[in-house]
Amino acid sequence: MSLSVELKYKKLRWAFVCLFLLVEVVLVGVAIRGSIIPDKIPEVSGYSKWDSEVVEAADYVPVQEGGRVKPFSSLARFKLLGYLGSTKVKIKVGDRTEKIGPTEWLLDCLFRPELAHQLPVFRVDDTKLLKGIGVESEDRRARLAFNDFLVVASTTDETAADFGKTAVERLKDRFDQIREKRQREAERRAKMTPKQIREEEYSKTAEELDLEEEENEKEDFLVKLHGQLNEYQYFTSFLDFARTEVILENVPEGVFGNDGRDPKKLSTWVSRFDRLRLLMQLVQQQGQQVPEEIAELFGVIEKKINSARGGVKWLPPREKDNEEWWSIGDQFISVLEDQSFNWQTVRTDLETVEQMKSSGEEIPDNLKSVARWGKLLEDMARLEVLVAASKVNNSNEFENELAKWRDEVTGRAEDRGEVAKVDPEPGFLTKMIQTITPLGKINGEVNYYNRNYFMNALVLFLIAFLISAVGWLVVDGKAAVGIRWGSIIFYVLAFFYLAWGITHRSVLMGRPPVGNLYDTIPFITAGAVLVLGISELLSRRKILLSVGAVLGVAGMFLTFRYEAGNAADHMDPLVAVLKSNFWLATHVVTVTIGYSGGLMACFLSAIYAHVCLAGLSRDEKGFTRFMTRSVYGIVCFTLLFSLVGTVLGGIWANDSWGRFWGWDPKENGALLIVLWSLIILHSRIAGWLGTWGIHLCSIFGGAVVGFSWWHVNMLEVGLHSYGFIKGGSVIWLFYVACLIALLVGVAALVLEKMRKAELKQNREEEAVAGKPVQA
Amino acid sequence: MKSDEKPNSWERVMRILGGFEIAVICLVLLFIHTFYSTLEQQWLGLYGTIQKYFDLESLWVIPTNRHDKAICIPLPGAYWVMALLTLNMTIGGIIRMKKGWKKLGILISHFSIVFMMIAGGVSSLSKIEGNMIVVEGQKSDFAMKSHAPSIELAKYGEDGLREEPLVVPPESLQELEPSDTLTANFSDLGLVMKITGFHEASNLFQEQTGNEKIDEDGPTVDGFFLREAEWNKSNELANMAGAYATVEDTEGNLIQKLVVWMGNPTPVTFTYKGARYAVSMVSEIWPMPFEVELHKSVGEYYPGTTRPSSFESTISKVVGEGKEEVREDYKIFMNNPMRHGGFTLFQANWSPTGEGDRPYSGFAIVTNPSDQWPKYALYAATLGLTGHFVYMLIRYAGRSTRKSKPQPQES
Repeated sequence: MSLSVELKYKKLRWAFVCLFLLVEVVLVGVAIRGSIIPDKIPEVSGYSKWDSEVVEAADYVPVQEGGRVKPFSSLARFKLLGYLGSTKVKIKVGDRTEKIGPTEWLLDCLFRPELAHQLPVFRVDDTKLLKGIGVESEDRRARLAFNDFLVVASTTDETAADFGKTAVERLKDRFDQIREKRQREAERRAKMTPKQIREEEYSKTAEELDLEEEENEKEDFLVKLHGQLNEYQYFTSFLDFARTEVILENVPEGVFGNDGRDPKKLSTWVSRFDRLRLLMQLVQQQGQQVPEEIAELFGVIEKKINSARGGVKWLPPREKDNEEWWSIGDQFISVLEDQSFNWQTVRTDLETVEQMKSSGEEIPDNLKSVARWGKLLEDMARLEVLVAASKVNNSNEFENELAKWRDEVTGRAEDRGEVAKVDPEPGFLTKMIQTITPLGKINGEVNYYNRNYFMNALVLFLIAFLISAVGWLVVDGKAAVGIRWGSIIFYVLAFFYLAWGITHRSVLMGRPPVGNLYDTIPFITAGAVLVLGISELLSRRKILLSVGAVLGVAGMFLTFRYEAGNAADHMDPLVAVLKSNFWLATHVVTVTIGYSGGLMACFLSAIYAHVCLAGLSRDEKGFTRFMTRSVYGIVCFTLLFSLVGTVLGGIWANDSWGRFWGWDPKENGALLIVLWSLIILHSRIAGWLGTWGIHLCSIFGGAVVGFSWWHVNMLEVGLHSYGFIKGGSVIWLFYVACLIALLVGVAALVLEKMRKAELKQNREEEAVAGKPVQA
Repeated sequence: MKSDEKPNSWERVMRILGGFEIAVICLVLLFIHTFYSTLEQQWLGLYGTIQKYFDLESLWVIPTNRHDKAICIPLPGAYWVMALLTLNMTIGGIIRMKKGWKKLGILISHFSIVFMMIAGGVSSLSKIEGNMIVVEGQKSDFAMKSHAPSIELAKYGEDGLREEPLVVPPESLQELEPSDTLTANFSDLGLVMKITGFHEASNLFQEQTGNEKIDEDGPTVDGFFLREAEWNKSNELANMAGAYATVEDTEGNLIQKLVVWMGNPTPVTFTYKGARYAVSMVSEIWPMPFEVELHKSVGEYYPGTTRPSSFESTISKVVGEGKEEVREDYKIFMNNPMRHGGFTLFQANWSPTGEGDRPYSGFAIVTNPSDQWPKYALYAATLGLTGHFVYMLIRYAGRSTRKSKPQPQES
């Protein structure tokens, strides 16, 4: 009788297991679907990859972006991530499929714009949104090239105003319209009373609200795309001046003096700008018409200088008090705007500056803009040589010129103290130190990304998990020992890779490891992996190592997903209020360890729920006791770190903002974890929470941690504005995962209770019937 | 008390008050409060949410969605829940908790949390906040209190300067509904001021410039009218209070109707019996027991960005005058405030364009008797919890290691 009951419940359990597994597979599918785009690889004929030496030379060129000096490769990486959501561009060249990396792509933008325009680097998640600007695609999700936006619209709904315009131009018009519309709306609302605002809000139906939200999302997308296309055009055109060939047929050579410069180069005409200005003034004074070719030349200079104002900022200024690096256009404009600059004496002033430089004299203030002008002319000429070398088939020449340019910029940055001098031929020890220390920040950062610490950690965690999973099946014998040690070795290796990556990052940034949301992901993962690893050593139950490995994989996956989605360089410097290594090292690290604890407890309880539902545990009582005690211990750990971290945050806030506690969302989030941990512990001590109570509460606690760690940043209110993020579908997937785990737990609990009740009833019936009672 | 003795009523009350039941209920209620108050900040703003959930006067609170629809049953006000929790922890700690070395850590952390909660209570009752703006090279000896609009009436002296103003304090104004009228008697000046149409956040419009008036708007005075504005959640200092003031003599004869608005850079004026008077709506002036002299105000941004890298002020704190003057130099920057006699000055903001193109520093000023209490409580709580946790961990590790040792097999 009881055997049939066991069989019945076994079937029921497995039905539930299958159902929940199906739901979980769907959930994972939804998570992965977000990052999949139809793999249609376009053909880019005539594309040839840059030599690895060229790419390596470019990698190390220092540039300034995001408020800091960083390698060219980092700039390229985060720009490409922002546009494409990936660090590889796939194209077909003949029969081959080529993968283009970030540095190669940015080199294309700078030196081969006609090829760059064919590369599919703009990821569009809903191509329907582009219909209004005349771009159409068969797929809903697509990767588009800049050339796709140059097609002149030919749709039937084209309005007269759009006639003959490219998609880029139409997008610009849409952007202007959106900006004006939003400005008008803001002005209108500013004049409304709160009552009017509320009445207007309440009068909208759910459909209208959905439509409004959809429209806002569409507009946000177009605004973002417009910004990306604009920035992209700067990258592809800021060296246009160096590609420009000036041909003046009616101006005899020598009219502007024989300076030995190539009259076809734009830099030559910029160096003659004083004389061109003089000529213009004389002609205008005499009331004559400016010669057509000269007027055109002025137009070309203006256009090329304007397009050279954006792009890559890779010219460190000579003046050390000017922190902002320049592009050629910026440098030119800064001279034009300088009232002290005298065009009439510029040539003699330049000679004076040269003499002073050669004799090592300090340049006086009144000649600083002249010195800047001289440097501008030098830089223009250097970049013209660089661009000319990029067109030559012999890549050695380009590699040499690029290396020279890298050394030139590095030298200037070294003189300014922004990049520390690096030994060009380091010994082993120096090389090791330069790899990760600020001594060689540019080198260190390139190495950091090349080493791909977190990807390696992900692979090692995955291997550790797979080996440990095999260990569940092989319980005895030498094989079991081998498997155990195999999983431990890979687990430890993965942890070291992760910890090394975090340390390398931290040293490069010159601050404690956690300063922004991105930093928290590997740190929390490392914390959880370490604690579970140590617990495994103490308990030797196998389960904790597997759980740690899965958390490691999930953490690394989230790291990549967040980096690709957010596409921001998280090594950029922190805002003033966060610039405190003491508080970052205490409050942020402590509270983050608290998050780590909450997630660990949630994960262990979720595993417990699944194992109980499937009836997989051989030693049910021992397993239950072990898991419950572990979860309880981790909840205590969570409380300790969350409480201390939260109060430390309050003390920091007291020093920064003048109040210990302000009910700000970020503070509230941390408090919610503390409160929830206290509720679990006090209810347990009072005897209200049994085994299942603790596990179900701990799973819910995971959702509370998710809210605190992630969701409060999406509310976009409060004093922690530096942490705000947009979107964030991941958190909703996480909530759903927690809900499923809760349902699994409830199902396991209900089935267990029903089974026990039925068995008891059977025993009683059998006792009444006088049958022997089974044990 | 012996175990077989029945507890008397007093003991029963104490057991209930110090029991786990009340502790858990309070914690659950606080959890719900904290959760909903976090969400509601999206549409109510921080200040509005604090007032709704955590204010002393909020006895009951109903969480609502952005359409003001109730989404939860009414909850007791969070302030009172916290007060009850503090009481529960105190009684529970003193009466119910087991005493002994093993529980020492828990006991210490328990009472340190009680101390922290008391610090919070003291802070909410007696903390005063304000802002002081000082231009580089200048001094200031007063601040403006936050969220404290007041109306000042000042007579111009014969020298053309304003005399000491008479003040309608914020406590009187903040209670006012737009339809209410507050009568302020300035008997020394022989004037009566009737204040109506008060809004904590308002906009001032000029009627001629094409601003259509609506029913809710106040009357037009000298071509201007006030309209209630949406409370600015992200920048609460940008909320400008405004009201209508009717000035009469003691006989009730009208002298002048005025619109007073916080955003006005200069006061509105009227003349009565040959004397000129100025009326202004300002944040309440908060005199400081010291002067702040700003020597240098520096604001820096990371190159090529609008991200601030540091705001720093070099100041002298000046106490006393003449021979008794005592000066102390400080550098105030983010995370490094100046503390003096219960006042704390923080670098709150900075602007390159103060008076005469000189930069200015904005200091947040706070006086709070329990300023440092949470720090002391934290030290104690950390000590207690860490001690207890380490003790439990060692016990757990010891047990686990003993259990995981292979047992001798029975033959």
